[in-house]
Amino acid sequence: MIRAFAPLVVAALLGGCATNALVLLPSEDGGQGAVAVLDGKGGETVVSQPNSRTSLRGRPTTAAYKVKPAEQALLDGLPPKSARFTLYFKEGTTDLTPESQPRLEELLAEVRNRPGAEAQVTGYTDTLGSDDDNDRLSQRRAEEVVEVLAAQGIDTGLLTAVGRGERSLLVKTGDGVREPANRRVEVIVR
Amino acid sequence: MKREWIAALCALACASYSASAAEIGRVKRSTGIATIERGKAKVPTAPGTQLQTGDVLVTGKDGQIALTFIDDTRFAVGPNSRVALSQFAYDRTRQTGSFLTDVNRGSVAVVSGQIAKSGRDAMKVRTPTALLGVRGTRFIVEAGK
Repeated sequence: MIRAFAPLVVAALLGGCATNALVLLPSEDGGQGAVAVLDGKGGETVVSQPNSRTSLRGRPTTAAYKVKPAEQALLDGLPPKSARFTLYFKEGTTDLTPESQPRLEELLAEVRNRPGAEAQVTGYTDTLGSDDDNDRLSQRRAEEVVEVLAAQGIDTGLLTAVGRGERSLLVKTGDGVREPANRRVEVIVR
Repeated sequence: MKREWIAALCALACASYSASAAEIGRVKRSTGIATIERGKAKVPTAPGTQLQTGDVLVTGKDGQIALTFIDDTRFAVGPNSRVALSQFAYDRTRQTGSFLTDVNRGSVAVVSGQIAKSGRDAMKVRTPTALLGVRGTRFIVEAGK
């Protein structure tokens, strides 16, 4: 029995920081999250105390905890949260509204400032006109934004353009309704 | 008829191939000794490198890799680590999926994304001693030897 435990003890002594643990932090928006330790038989221990450390060897036990410098360095190494931009277009066109021009500049700056940036570009329309026309128009709007980014020297291999037509209206309307808020391109920069 | 069958089979094979090689995320930054093991190949961890299901992230002393996934999950892999992206599936339109990461050794800081929100324990992290169900948060997992 003692012999069986010996390697574990040695590993713990030699390993120093070689531990098996979960460190739970407050979520970025300050809200509370949770991680469940699953026992594989349908049972679980839910850890929801922020700034806590839970041992993952044997029965999970949780205690209040302050992160060590190495852990803080790891947290600081996380990529920044994705940024979202919405650009609006003039009716039936791929021309940006004047109000959206400064937003486009902000988008360009964001893409330039992120190492290994990628942008997911999705176009939408309002419900005026046929579904087919709107699918095409939304695709052209998305491609227009991708072209502007490409013209600024941003690698288009890192961009995707998708048109979703009148699906996912920002402002819910019936069919055949002019709605400036729905004539848009949404860009997620990661 | 036979030819159509062959064409259908080829299409299926192609579809499943492209699905398995599909991009699931990207490297954003890497420092020190850091590589991606993809089957027998070793892929360098330059910013912008695309990640695939099955990739294993390996770091040495002082190594660190920062990555983002297409569901907005973010990882920072710490030094002396071995982390496998064992399973990853994500439907961008419905924003649902499943994600299993194996932290075989070392440490990973995680900010969970859409997959963790899409279903109970849709995102799991496995260590040599435990299986975790992520319920949407920021945390660090450390796995000793």
